Amino acid sequence: MGAAFQQAWELIRSGDPELLNILSTTARVSLTSSLLALLLGVPLGILYGVGRFRGRRVLIVLNRTLMGLPPVVCGLLFYLLFSGVGPFGKLKLLFTVPIMILAQVALITPIVIGTMETYVAQTAPALRETALGLGFGRGKRFLLLLNECVSPMISAYLLAFARAIAEVGAVAMVGGAIAWKTNVMTTAIMMYTNRGSFTLGIALGLILLGLSLLVNAALSLLQRRLNP
Amino acid sequence: MKTAAFTKSYGNRTVLRLPALDLPEGMITAVIGANGSGKSTLARVLAGIEAADGNTTVLKDCSVGYLPQKSYAFRMSTRRNILLNGEDSARAEELMQALGLEDLARQRAGKLSGGETAKMALCRLLMGTYRLLILDEPTAAMDMESTLAAEELIRKRCRETGCGVLLITHSIQQARRLASRAIFLHRGELAEQGDAERVLYLPQDPLTQRFLEVYGV
Repeated sequence: MGAAFQQAWELIRSGDPELLNILSTTARVSLTSSLLALLLGVPLGILYGVGRFRGRRVLIVLNRTLMGLPPVVCGLLFYLLFSGVGPFGKLKLLFTVPIMILAQVALITPIVIGTMETYVAQTAPALRETALGLGFGRGKRFLLLLNECVSPMISAYLLAFARAIAEVGAVAMVGGAIAWKTNVMTTAIMMYTNRGSFTLGIALGLILLGLSLLVNAALSLLQRRLNP
Repeated sequence: MKTAAFTKSYGNRTVLRLPALDLPEGMITAVIGANGSGKSTLARVLAGIEAADGNTTVLKDCSVGYLPQKSYAFRMSTRRNILLNGEDSARAEELMQALGLEDLARQRAGKLSGGETAKMALCRLLMGTYRLLILDEPTAAMDMESTLAAEELIRKRCRETGCGVLLITHSIQQARRLASRAIFLHRGELAEQGDAERVLYLPQDPLTQRFLEVYGV
């Protein structure tokens, strides 16, 4: 373990070009997919939480099922859809970063929707009753609800980002873990471990944990600033 | 003001079946009754939070301000919560001072105690102008001193603006202190309504008499 720490430090200090490439691909994939999931998931989560429309319960159950979707199944679906014989094969997206982002968006958006839906469903009735009692219109009620949602949005983003950065099954299947192109931290760890380079694998794992810790700490600080 | 007669049901269960009720302007009307008698449902229907059966219009052309039983503090400071319902900051200061909230003005409202949140919610409601105020147990979480201060604010608002007040309360003493009229509900039906002096001191209805006996007043 000590050797792994040393090697992780050496890798960072030396500015190893392959490591930097893996890091930048990981950051691109995880940050973009989690942001897209947030943009898609927050409005849907709010809609599921406050909306009273036919089929809402079915959608909620479906979403909760998708929250547990195994990454490899998600990867397989995207592989079939975007492979040469699939309906979107002509787009030639397989083994590129955009398809890795798409697969992760499909995987983590249900988490954002679920987190927001649970919070909004608990908060909205009391908020609505108070706001209606004061005579506030629909627009003002919606803005107040959005203001209440800041903290759960950060929590939802943290969950989505954590799932995205730690995920390996989907990105490996649709990205192919191609060195200098689609290799991310998790697929690189798998690759080095398969080659027997355990120390390098552990070193990368430590860097991955460090990155995750940094993002979590930054967002937790932001959350505390917003809710002192 | 007079409400329309209406019923309110949840599924097959009718929880309220009421004739027209008098809610005179410039007067405080207390609604009393045991748990489950339909007091809060009445408040929620009159406030438009819930619809009466058949979407009956219960109150016509009336601006209603409603304070729910459980006060909600929006994610902002106490002062900003109060100013959500009006921009007159001098009025907000006056209200906060009347209920002893001035030192908590900058504090995040989510960190207030139950009683303080109730005071903040009452101040917030009183920032607005309404023809009818519906207050669902506004002082239930407050200590005696704050209760008396809140009652004075309610009385003053009613006197100065001529608005009607529907006060839902469990406290017969509070109803006697504040109300000019009283409504007694029993299992979702009107048992008695009239002058507070009569309903709260010399009730005609045996159910009201028994209720007052149980409360020891």
